[in-house]
This record gives sequence, structure tokens and C-alpha cells, in this order.
Amino acid sequence: MKNKILLLCMAFILVAAFALPGCVPEVAPPEEEEEEEEVVEPVKIGAIYPLTGPLAAIGTEIKQVVELAADIVNNSYDIDLPFARGEGLPGLGGAPIEVVFADSKGSPETGLAEAERLIEMEGVVALIGCYQSSVTETASFAAERLAIPYLNPESTYPGLTDRGFKWFFRNTPHDYTFSETFFKFLEDLKEKEGLDHSEIENVAILYEDTLWGVGTSDAEKDLIAKKYPAGAEYNIVADIAYAHEAASVTSEVMKLKAANPDIVLMASYLSDALLFQKEFKALDFNPKAILAMDAGHIHPDFVSTLGADANYIFTREVWSLDLSVVNPLIGIVNDIYYERHGKNMDGTTARSFTGLMVLADVLNRAGSTEPEAIREALVETDIPPEDLIVPWKGVKFDETGQNMYGEGVISQIIDESWHTVYPSEFALRDWVYPQPTWAER
Amino acid sequence: MGRLKPLMVRQPRIFWRKNYIFALAFALLLALPFIFTAHFQHHVMIKVLMFTFLGCAWNIIGGYTGQVALGHAAFFGIGAYTSSLCYIWFGLNPWFGMFLGGILAVAVSAVINYPCFRLHGRYFAIATLALGMIIRLLFTNWRLVGGALGVRLPLLPESLWNFQFHTTKLPYYYIALVLCALIFAILYKIERSKLGFYLRAIKESEEAARSLGIDVAKYKLVAMSISVFFTAMAGTLYAQYILYIDPISLMPLMTSILICVVPVLGGAGTLWGPALGAPILLIAIEYSRAWLGGGGRGIDYMIVGAIMVAIIFRPGGLTSFFQGPRFRQWWRRIRG
Repeated sequence: MKNKILLLCMAFILVAAFALPGCVPEVAPPEEEEEEEEVVEPVKIGAIYPLTGPLAAIGTEIKQVVELAADIVNNSYDIDLPFARGEGLPGLGGAPIEVVFADSKGSPETGLAEAERLIEMEGVVALIGCYQSSVTETASFAAERLAIPYLNPESTYPGLTDRGFKWFFRNTPHDYTFSETFFKFLEDLKEKEGLDHSEIENVAILYEDTLWGVGTSDAEKDLIAKKYPAGAEYNIVADIAYAHEAASVTSEVMKLKAANPDIVLMASYLSDALLFQKEFKALDFNPKAILAMDAGHIHPDFVSTLGADANYIFTREVWSLDLSVVNPLIGIVNDIYYERHGKNMDGTTARSFTGLMVLADVLNRAGSTEPEAIREALVETDIPPEDLIVPWKGVKFDETGQNMYGEGVISQIIDESWHTVYPSEFALRDWVYPQPTWAER
Repeated sequence: MGRLKPLMVRQPRIFWRKNYIFALAFALLLALPFIFTAHFQHHVMIKVLMFTFLGCAWNIIGGYTGQVALGHAAFFGIGAYTSSLCYIWFGLNPWFGMFLGGILAVAVSAVINYPCFRLHGRYFAIATLALGMIIRLLFTNWRLVGGALGVRLPLLPESLWNFQFHTTKLPYYYIALVLCALIFAILYKIERSKLGFYLRAIKESEEAARSLGIDVAKYKLVAMSISVFFTAMAGTLYAQYILYIDPISLMPLMTSILICVVPVLGGAGTLWGPALGAPILLIAIEYSRAWLGGGGRGIDYMIVGAIMVAIIFRPGGLTSFFQGPRFRQWWRRIRG
């Protein structure tokens, strides 16, 4: 008898699972005064992020910030962002945005399945996501196949926009652009400091030997070979890969000292970045500047561990809270976020926020929820920098779907905190160049 | 399921005539993608079939032979990588790559599993678990095969020969169905062959089997080889289906455990076990994520966990429901 009941239950679950695919618990849109006027259907946008698994922490932060962006569009806020003051999207008769979240679990296969489900069963008109490049790869493939626009706010693997996709657009600058920022910064440095070409000529490249480090160093070498920008000449005097778990880096630093470079380009995680900086001091290695690729060098522990010894490192950044002095929107949006969730935004969440705001602008201009209309609006996107909370020159997509105006910024650690020093329109402090020698500090 | 059932040994032709229910079920499986037509539903069906196939493959070593191997995701990965890289490097058609992947998996498994066969029970399980993770780490750091970034398969015009379909998922479903039918036929044969009896004897008691003159080490290796060969084949199907593979998503611990839990839920060491376990588990995983995953609280994982825990109350798996005398009586009645 018991067996029969169990069996019946199992059979019921099976049938229910297949027969009720559309019965997703409908999340009631935030209460709006719709009833007085004619009812406006909300516009559904699908968002795929790693909400469980090893990346759940960052995925949840992104979810919060995307919800915040939707809230700003749907409700009235006194902020100088597009759509903040009104309710909903005027181009669609005041329709609110409804974000349908899906969990990628950090797996490309799940991302693909969830993209298909959101498009076919939830009826989303556009997708954003998925943070990890590998998941974006497959999820955008599903969107391409089903002809639904896909806007990627935060994946930086350069190859994503090389696939010739018609429906794929990327907001964020990619890893190659970030490397370009280094070289543009060096040109700017030479010009402002009135330096001769030969004074910054010898470059050492120092990187950890897994994919990230190797990938960025490849980009740097490629740019040097291409004489980017505009015929800049550099000599690579040292090319050093190391294992980031290394317990000692003395031999690497000895090699660097022997090569005597003007500048060092670094790509390091936290523990190795700390080790190198200590060893630089111990062996009195004094290049004119050290340029780092975020990661270890933007981690709060880098400064808290090293104290004043961390000073004068230049590092790439995507976003920085101190930029709110130049762009007050950054501070305002961050304050709302801080009030709700008790922490500050960072480079990733700032880009995710921007992703949804761009999509809101696109839907508004499309004036329709037809995929083709939305795609055309995406192609015609031209958002000025003052509407963004990221330090870009705007948002405008090239023919591959890549945002042409996205840029990284360069910060320098001065007085034990990070200060944006480049590009000049965002610079709040002057850089310190060349860095003082260890004896002078 | 250790006991043998002479009842089941029948002439195949009579088997089919008498078992029109199986014919009906097969017809239903053929028609299923036309009843549920959305891509997502097709995806769930393909995953169910893929894990039925993987569960059957695991059953040979884990169910019939009783050696709980927990590193099968590694062989799944080897299959996926072999066919994909052989296509990219040498232009080898993925159908051939599928078999090459199987052979390579057998070779790798022979080298690394042979010493593990000296271990018993939980020690064997831990050793295979560790090996699975080592192989995954190896692929993650091996730059030649794409490392952590994985391998992206080039898009080709869709055809059966290219093993790629973009506009529809139906062919993947039918390929998976054919593979499942194939492995069922093979398992049906093995169950009734000398090999099948040897394997079950090893499961019951290795010492007793050895005393009867069975070369235990050899037959464990044979069972393992058949098992990993099919596991690697499923890897190729996966790679051709997703068209992007990376070690982090291809060979996680979760895949190894799912491959094992599917037949255990259905009934380890039974022919129909995986076919019962896979739909329940995979549908629960996919749909609980679809319904509840967007909340980001992991409730879907809890549901799946609860189903796995439920196995404790039925150690024989779901097929044990169909083995009581009352069920046999009912079965005989509906077959006339």
C-alpha cells in the first residue's frame, strides 16, 4: 500500500513537471498605480547570472544592482539618470521593466538552457548576462539561434565579439582594450612629463603563468609589436612568467634587476603581488614605474598588508568610488545601493547596472518589443557619458557589437589608497612619476 | 538483484510480441518531442536520455560489478575533448572522434584504474573520486588543450555527418535515443551472458568468485573498460550539443555524482534502473531550477538533495517497486 502511494507521488511529480512548464510563480510587478489608467504590460528582460555555486556572492550582488536599476526606471527618483524621474519607459507608454532572473550555476550548459527557457517560456524580449565569459558564450549562442537581442555588460574575453553574431552586443571594454589603456596612458605620461622617447623605452613584462596572466601578456606583446599607439617604440628587456603559488620570487627579481627596465608591466594575483613588492624593497629594485593589471593590486589587502610600501603602483581599474567627485551620479547611485545592501558597488556591479540602463534606453527608443526593432535600436545606440555611472566616453556599438567608447581608467596608490590619475577628465590627483627609490621613501 | 532470474531468459521474438507495452513506450519516446515542442523541453529530454545512457554505462562497473566508481566525469570529459580537438587539429569527423575518445578513455582508465582495483569498497570510491579531480585539474592547467578557457567548436553547416544542428534540437534527441537503445541492447546481452554472471559474482563476494576460478582483476577491468568507453561516447554527444567545452563545467564533481546517483536511484545493477532514475532526477533538477533558481537561494538544490536522501528509504532503488509478488501478479494480468 505504502509502495503504491509512493509510486503515485512519483508519477504525479513526473507529469506535473512536464505538463506545467508555463506555471512559473509569477512575480508580481512592483505595485504601481496602473489601475487608474489603462493597464500597461511590463517589458520582460531576462537576466542570467551565477546565483548559486562558487560565484554566488558576485552573482547575488549583480542581481541586487540590476534590481536597483529596474527600480530606478520603474519608479520616480530625483536623480539625473535617464528614466529616473518618470515611471516606466515613455517610449512604450510608460511600461515598467520586469527582470526575470535565472540561475546559470556558473555552467555554460545551464546558461544555454536557461537562455532558451527565458526566451521561449518566459517571453523575454532581450537578455543580459552572464558575468563569466564561458557562460556568455553559450547563452548568447542560444539568443542568436532564437533571434533575440543579447546585451553583455561584464564579460571581458575578447573573442566573444569575433563570432560574427547578429544579435550580440557588449557594453564592457574587453581585455585587449584594457591593455591598450596602458599604452595610451604611457603616451600621455610622456607628453605631460615632457619626456623623451628613450626615457620610457625598456619594458619588462612580469605575469603569472595561468590563462589570465598569459592572456594579458600576449595582448601586451602584441600591442608592442604593433607599435601601439601611433608608432610608439618599446623594447622588451625581460619577459618573465612565474607560478603564482611560488613561495619565493628572488630569482625573478634578480632577473628584473639585471634587465634594468624603465617600467614593469605586471599581472599578478594577491599573494604573489605582495611577495614581489616585498622583494622589490628587499633587493632595492627601482624601476621608474610599475603598471599592474588590477587583480592583486586592487585588492584592499594589498594596501592593508604592505602599508606605505604599497605606494606608487599604477593599476588598471574599471570603476572607482572616488570618481564620484567628477561624476556625482556614481556617488548617488552607490549611496542608494549602500543604504539597501550595506556595501559599496564595485567595477563589476557598476557595469551590470549600466547594462540594464542601456537596455532601458534601447527599449525606449525601439518603441516596440519586436526583436528586430530592439536590434535596430541597439545598433543606433549613442549614449553620452553624462548618462553613465562608469568612466566611459559613452555607449555606441561597432559592427561587431562591441562598445567603442568603453575604457578603463588607471589608478595610482598614493598615501595608501587608490586615486584615479588617468584619463585626465577623471583624474583627481596628479600622478607621482617616477616613483621614488626605496632609499628616498 | 544479485539473484538470477531464469524467468527472464526468453526468445527475443516472443519477448517483443508479449511485450507490446515496451513497443508502445518506445513509440511514445519517438513522439515525445512533438508533444512538447519548446527548446527548453527538448533540452530536458536530451539531458534525461544522456544521463540514462551515462547511468547505464556506470551501471556496468558500479551496479553489476559493485565497484562504486566516482570519477566518471573525467572520462566524460576525455571523450568530449578527444572528439573536439581531433576535429579542430586534424579535421577528424566527430563520429570517428566519438570512438577514438572511447578508446582513449579505455586506455587512460586501464592505466590508472588497474592499481585502484586492489582497493575495496569505500577506498576504491575515494581513489576514483580523487583521480577524477586530478584529471580535471590537469585539463584546467593544460594550455595545449585550451586550459581553463576551454575549447570552442567551429560552427559548421548542420548535418548528421557534421554532428551539428542549430535550428532544431530534435536530431540530438534521436541520436541520444539511439545510443540509449544501443546500450540497453548491450546490457540486456551482458545480463544474460557469462560475463554478466561473472560480474555479479564479483559483486556478491570477490573471494568466492576467485575461489570459483574467476579472474577478478581481469573482469573488473573489462567492466570498467566497457563502462568508460560509453561514458566517453556521451562526452562527444555533449560536446557536439553544447559546442563549447571547458573543464570547469564539463568535469565537476557534481557530474560524477549524478552519473552514480541516477542508476542508484532507479536501482543499481538493474537494466531499467537508469531509465527510471534519470527522468526523475533530471526533471527535478532542471525544473526546480527553472521555477525556483531565479530566487538565488538554492532551494532547487535542496529539492534535489531531498530526492537523493529519499533513496535511503528504498535501498533497492525504484525498480524494487516492480519486483514484489503483487506487481508481478498485476503485470501478468495486464499482459493477458
